[in-house]
Amino acid sequence: MATLQASDLTLAYDKVTIVDELSLDIPTGQVSIVVGANGCGKSTLLRALSRLLKPAGGQVLLDGADIHSKPAKEVAKTLGLLPQSPTAPDGITARELISRGRYPHQGLFKRFSAEDEAAVNRAMELTGTTELADRSVDELSGGQRQRVWIAMALAQETDLLLLDEPTTFLDVAHQLEVLDVVSELNRSRGITVVIVLHDLNLAARYADYLVALRHGKIYAAGHPNDVVTEKTVKDVFGMPSRVIPDPVGGTPLVLPIGRHRVLRTEQVLATKGIYRSEASARDTAAKQAASVKEAAEAAAQLDPQAMRPAHEHVPTLAFDTTVVKSEQLAPSFRRLTVSGEDLEYFGTNSHPLDMRIKLLLPPAGGTALTDEIASMRPEALTSPAEQQGWYKRWLSIDPDTRGYMRTYTVRAFREAGHRDNIGATAELDIDFVMHGDIVDGQLQGGPATEFGDRAKVGDQLLLLGPNKTLNDSTYGGIEFRRGEATRVVLAGDETAAPAICAILEELPSNVTGHALIEVPETTDILGASTRSGVSVQWLTRGSHEHGELLQAALRQVVAIPAAGVVHTNAEPEDIDVDADILWETGQANTAPFYAWIAGEAGTVKEMRRYLVRDAGVDRKQVAFMGYWRRGKTEN
Amino acid sequence: MEATTMAQPTSTGDADVPAKPPAAAQSGTTLAARRRSRVRRTALWMVVALVLAIAAYLFWGRDRLPAAEVFQVLGGEKVPGTSFIIMSDRLPRIAVGMLAGAGLGISGALFQRWLGNPLASPDVIGVGYGASAAAVFAMIIRGYTDWKLNAFSLAGGLLVAALIYWLSAAGKRTGSRLILAGLAIGAMLQALIQYLLTQAQVNTASDVMHWLTGSLASSNWENALLLLVSLGAIGILLLPLVLRQLKMLELGEDAAAALGLHVGWARALLVFVAVAMGALPIAVTGPMAFVAFLAGPITAALTRGPINILLAGLTGATLVTIANFFAANLFADLSLPVGVITGAFGAPFLIWILVRANSTGSGA
Repeated sequence: MATLQASDLTLAYDKVTIVDELSLDIPTGQVSIVVGANGCGKSTLLRALSRLLKPAGGQVLLDGADIHSKPAKEVAKTLGLLPQSPTAPDGITARELISRGRYPHQGLFKRFSAEDEAAVNRAMELTGTTELADRSVDELSGGQRQRVWIAMALAQETDLLLLDEPTTFLDVAHQLEVLDVVSELNRSRGITVVIVLHDLNLAARYADYLVALRHGKIYAAGHPNDVVTEKTVKDVFGMPSRVIPDPVGGTPLVLPIGRHRVLRTEQVLATKGIYRSEASARDTAAKQAASVKEAAEAAAQLDPQAMRPAHEHVPTLAFDTTVVKSEQLAPSFRRLTVSGEDLEYFGTNSHPLDMRIKLLLPPAGGTALTDEIASMRPEALTSPAEQQGWYKRWLSIDPDTRGYMRTYTVRAFREAGHRDNIGATAELDIDFVMHGDIVDGQLQGGPATEFGDRAKVGDQLLLLGPNKTLNDSTYGGIEFRRGEATRVVLAGDETAAPAICAILEELPSNVTGHALIEVPETTDILGASTRSGVSVQWLTRGSHEHGELLQAALRQVVAIPAAGVVHTNAEPEDIDVDADILWETGQANTAPFYAWIAGEAGTVKEMRRYLVRDAGVDRKQVAFMGYWRRGKTEN
Repeated sequence: MEATTMAQPTSTGDADVPAKPPAAAQSGTTLAARRRSRVRRTALWMVVALVLAIAAYLFWGRDRLPAAEVFQVLGGEKVPGTSFIIMSDRLPRIAVGMLAGAGLGISGALFQRWLGNPLASPDVIGVGYGASAAAVFAMIIRGYTDWKLNAFSLAGGLLVAALIYWLSAAGKRTGSRLILAGLAIGAMLQALIQYLLTQAQVNTASDVMHWLTGSLASSNWENALLLLVSLGAIGILLLPLVLRQLKMLELGEDAAAALGLHVGWARALLVFVAVAMGALPIAVTGPMAFVAFLAGPITAALTRGPINILLAGLTGATLVTIANFFAANLFADLSLPVGVITGAFGAPFLIWILVRANSTGSGA
């Protein structure tokens, strides 16, 4: 079998470099597909691989020898190319066109031989064009015409077949028709195939080896499962997306995310571990709740002085974890994935909305593992008495020694053995929001921002979270409790975005309303999936004041009723944003409307005041929480 | 038609093959076979029309000669008066006319097939004007009348072809750009010809004017031999190769290159052959309007298939011979240059092509 390689290949048109020092080994006997944005150089690369373009640097090696050192006709016997838009001469029949593929095998005086005839017949049979042989190519459908062209390239009888966007201008059925023929050829004849393709999902489905090009360089190459990730799509196509397993092919499936679009794909929810059948979820939840209750009762009857492992009786445990992945989701969002043996005891036996944990951020040069915290590790021996008042004692320690505690939303929790896990133990995803200023190339902000910005794989992270044996879905303290409400408003800034996304994923389909999320830049727009009717609106702040757009949007979606229609509430009790923690859970048991506001304390306070005082929403229907305060490093 | 094929299995369609055995594809009823037989039939009718036009010109028309005497002359006997008319005037005219028509027909058809556009014939894209201008220059300024005139004409045609080719950014799909560049160059060259005419002596200018309309009046055996040898050499040595390569080139340059064709050389050779086939006759007869343009599309219309290059050559020969008969006999007291007739018939055809190209979306 012929081999094809590019080594340090530089390609340029009129001194404009299109492909830059690219090296690529085409896997022999496989289907390789090259994807990339328009103008990334993928077609140019294919032209060079097929000897149509002379490289400005480096070389293309066909069977180990420079392709340009071989005569064109020799190359054409080993390597066939179907260009992007070949032209069929007027009135030519399919058989005549396919016969022209025999050109490299014919001499000047050699007539069309029986061997040529046999090759043409084989090519037609393989592409299913035998019955089209006598038809004029002009009158064929797009898919049929493309199959005829592939047959022409096949009649060349080469080991390698290169196709430049063979599915352009075809409808989806014809695209599949063409790709099926090609993959069939690969499987039945072992032909090495290289295809340049626009459609990422089809590429993922048909490729054995996927090459993603960006700006003339290989961004990623390998099996589609490794190459097609949300990050790759974002970086290569500049498009936010969600990648899920293709329910048909099992390959990655890219769901593009528009600005104001809501994805309602159940598969999206399924991959996040969200139960599609609510009844079965309720059953398991009920069973677990019972066992948790039992465990809690047992814990309460323990001798206060008895030393027992913390996981048996301490509801909130300290988990020692290691950062296993740090991923920049968007300029202002970084996702840390942490993992550790301790996480075996982590959880609430359910999927509470907005499950919170406390991160213990170490002081400069120190460790956050104080005695109080150490006694809360799952396996640590401790007594109920020892745990009494630990928080007060911890608070009294100098922050420079103990570090800081910050509240974070768990973006995703995957138990040990989950398909997406990096390591063997359970994993947590935590999204950090980078709000601060760049000083000397380093982000200066709150301790959490700085920690998130600088965290590397391998770093240690202590966190406080629910003990699986003693907690159920009521864990968290501050949750989203919409009760009977079917109309909701979720509003928040980038710090609230992870929580809002988590809530959206949980909302059932009968809920409508608005989700307003203010983020610094367009590129910070994350994927939000929901099967509810809540419309998600991402607001990009740009040069506006923090919270300005958010408040304006809130005023639009919750209008002030006409005078006299409702009695608006009096001024809500004033809250000192510096002294009080701005956390209040609305208790909307029967009211049809529920609002959930989070983010910067000042903005939250303003929005709450608007809803309660101006729009007349009952205070109990408005849950609000300040995650951070502008101009303060402490919260 | 499309719906029935769509219903068939898309990948291999094995199940359907027995219903429509491949043997049927090879029987004599296939489209390709029908087309081949149409080409043969058309060629036959063209030859018949050609013979009739030659016979009519020799035996019939104004200044009718006694048929017996014509036969005697053709038989090799010498008949005073008739011999001179036949041997020194009518036969050389027919010979030059046929050769020129064939050359122009092949030239036009090559360009038209290559660029996939009927408008791309050398008389439309300015190559004809290049040959004309060079010939006019050679006649007026240098006073050439022999083979050097042909050489000048050929050089002029090639030069303009190269210029147009360069202007339209060779290598890409250049069809319509090449035609537009050719039209512009053609207009410039017409101005050059007008200028050269003002520089000429009155009687030279009059000859040149007559030549410029395309005329067989100056035909003699020497001219005919020159054309036969030059066109024949190109036709036998280079044309078979060009025809073979044209089949690849018309698939698009990338596809051709992928099939192992050296596109640059193939293109250059094609342009050379096409220009030579058109420019050599022009040096002898002057630019006979529309012959190169008409021959290809007429054969395509008659065979209801793609342009057949050799058949286009035959059609060109027949066209000129018929036009020659009409030029000599249309008016009782006036012998027109043959270019007047081809021009008069060609112009409506050009309009028809343009209208048709507009409605189908192809063309320039």
